[in-house]
Amino acid sequence: MKKWFTKVAMAVAVTLTAVFAAFLVGCQNKNKNEFVIGVSGPLTGPAAVYGLAVKNSAQMAVDEINEAGGLGGYKFKFVAVDDKHDASTVSTNYATLVKEGMQVSLGCVTTKPGLEFKSLSKEDNVFFMTPSATADNIPEFANGYQMCFADTKQGTYSANYVNDNVTTSNNKIGVLYRAGDDYSQGIYNNFKNQLAPKFTLVEASFTDDNPTDLSSQVELLKDCEFIFLPIYYTPASVFMLQAKDKVSADCVYFGCDGLDGIESSEGFDINSIPQEVSYLSHFNSNATEGAAKTYIDKYVAKYGKDTLNQFGASAYDCVYAIYNAMKAAYDKDNSKVTPNTSASDMCEVLKTEFQGGFSYSGVTGTNITWDRDGYVNKAAVKYVVKAKSN
Amino acid sequence: MSFIVTFLNGLSLGGVYALIALGYTMVYGIAKMLNFAHGDIIMVGGYVLFVFISLTGQPILAIIIAAFLCSLLGISMEKAAYKPLRGASPLAVLITAIGVSYFLQSLAQIIFGAAPKFVIIADLGVITFGELVIPVYSVITLAISILIMIALSLFIKFTKTGRAMIAVSEDKAAAQIMGINVNTIITVTFLIGSFLAAVASVFYLLKAPNISPTFGSKPGIKAFTAAVIGGIGSIPGAMLGGFLLGIVEVFSNSVPAIAPYTDAIEFLILIVILLVRPTGILGKKRREKV
Repeated sequence: MKKWFTKVAMAVAVTLTAVFAAFLVGCQNKNKNEFVIGVSGPLTGPAAVYGLAVKNSAQMAVDEINEAGGLGGYKFKFVAVDDKHDASTVSTNYATLVKEGMQVSLGCVTTKPGLEFKSLSKEDNVFFMTPSATADNIPEFANGYQMCFADTKQGTYSANYVNDNVTTSNNKIGVLYRAGDDYSQGIYNNFKNQLAPKFTLVEASFTDDNPTDLSSQVELLKDCEFIFLPIYYTPASVFMLQAKDKVSADCVYFGCDGLDGIESSEGFDINSIPQEVSYLSHFNSNATEGAAKTYIDKYVAKYGKDTLNQFGASAYDCVYAIYNAMKAAYDKDNSKVTPNTSASDMCEVLKTEFQGGFSYSGVTGTNITWDRDGYVNKAAVKYVVKAKSN
Repeated sequence: MSFIVTFLNGLSLGGVYALIALGYTMVYGIAKMLNFAHGDIIMVGGYVLFVFISLTGQPILAIIIAAFLCSLLGISMEKAAYKPLRGASPLAVLITAIGVSYFLQSLAQIIFGAAPKFVIIADLGVITFGELVIPVYSVITLAISILIMIALSLFIKFTKTGRAMIAVSEDKAAAQIMGINVNTIITVTFLIGSFLAAVASVFYLLKAPNISPTFGSKPGIKAFTAAVIGGIGSIPGAMLGGFLLGIVEVFSNSVPAIAPYTDAIEFLILIVILLVRPTGILGKKRREKV
């Protein structure tokens, strides 16, 4: 009796699975009439401000593209799923996006989930360009691209910025980094390699993640007029407080994305620091001209100021860069770029474009190009958090 | 010129290490145990300062409250966690101390969260002598820690309680026979040690105004190293070890090439000293009876 029951149950299960699978395949094969772009990001939780900025901005870009007629008569559809900045949700999210018919992706908004997404998308060869997952190994595989600066590449761009824009009377450039920390040490190494020989680099370092005594470092750096701080904002604020009366008030502090948020860190009054505090960015949320200004006006009118940040600006550019590349490919051969092109074929088409002299100008930079590894090449902007006090 | 400032900074950091090391060394000398939760009292002191400065805006009041609450915490820690283990094996007491340390850290994380909090006690600025620009907190830290050390030495040498402390550290059983209440003496030791930790937390926050739940562990380990270098159980040894370590740390940090290895250098000194003098620089040699 029992055996008989098991056999029937098995047969039913197998049949059901087969039917269900056929149904799924049928779903995927049905003719689509729109291009689908997907992203996974934190739409709820503590990091939601970043995910929402990306979602809003990408949707805004897609709406604009659709209003202008889409591509080859087809519209675009944008799908955002919530990963709560939790890497364990990414595989489910990825499956959801694939089911929605995702052909191209913005990857993940934040790094940890992004590393998961990177591996999943490699299997299916899905092209992604992340607006804001900055880890160096996000574009590890051929299908991954970044619109933001990769973590340690910020050292190279900062050095380029310094070489082109900074002059100091004693030709000294100071740097304070955290020795042994992948992020800080990586940026520092790249910065050192790229800095023009006319500058003398004055180095100081610490090892604790939360240093309390930076008096020796202040002593080393006190004659510098420009100090590069590739560290997070907590140690940076400790340094600034200990250095504020010892370093010249004309000195410029320049950091990387680790300083993002220093002005709003609780209890730290940035206005008590007389020196200028700034960091490398690709977007100035106080811009008063150019493409950035146009973007800010549109975004604020639609979604308000709360979620206006560089994540959104970058996502806006991602969508347009992907659209422009698709359009360029479409103009060459319109059979290769249709809503029914598979994600893998679309990936090959886009890779050919991005590696074939494609350049893009938008909110976060002009004449942006991508190198063979998927890293972005564009000029950095100095974003001034707090100007020098008088 | 830079040398003088660096030296002063080293002395000031050393003074703080010495204050914390005194707590370790006194508790070890008298209760024969390593109180690994000592560093976390600094952290608690920091949070007390944070709360009361945010609430009242009165730094002096907050410092007094912090000193009081830390001393109270030290005593209750001893009463609740260590006293029941008075006769137990040293290993059990050691594990308990580590447990207390984790308990305090986790409690702080539950109450205040893991992100650092900022609290500015006072902006003291700098004093300038010609080319010398000296941070005022360095001078104050150094002066006050030296004063406290002198006071403590006098207290131990010339008061009844102080001499009882020496007696207990020399021979607990004999001291008890002579009519000294060992439990009271141990309580007083914890009180003094925790008070010193509270003072250290004030000095830390004068320098770097950010406080996190694990804030006490690094100074704790450094000061413990200082106590061992100087000779654990020896009060002048803790002071010497503290100053030595502070100066080494600051000078090592001021040479860019070796700055990344500062911690390694400090612990290397510990190893070398223990190889040459296993009881520390000023530690007493005790002949074991076989």
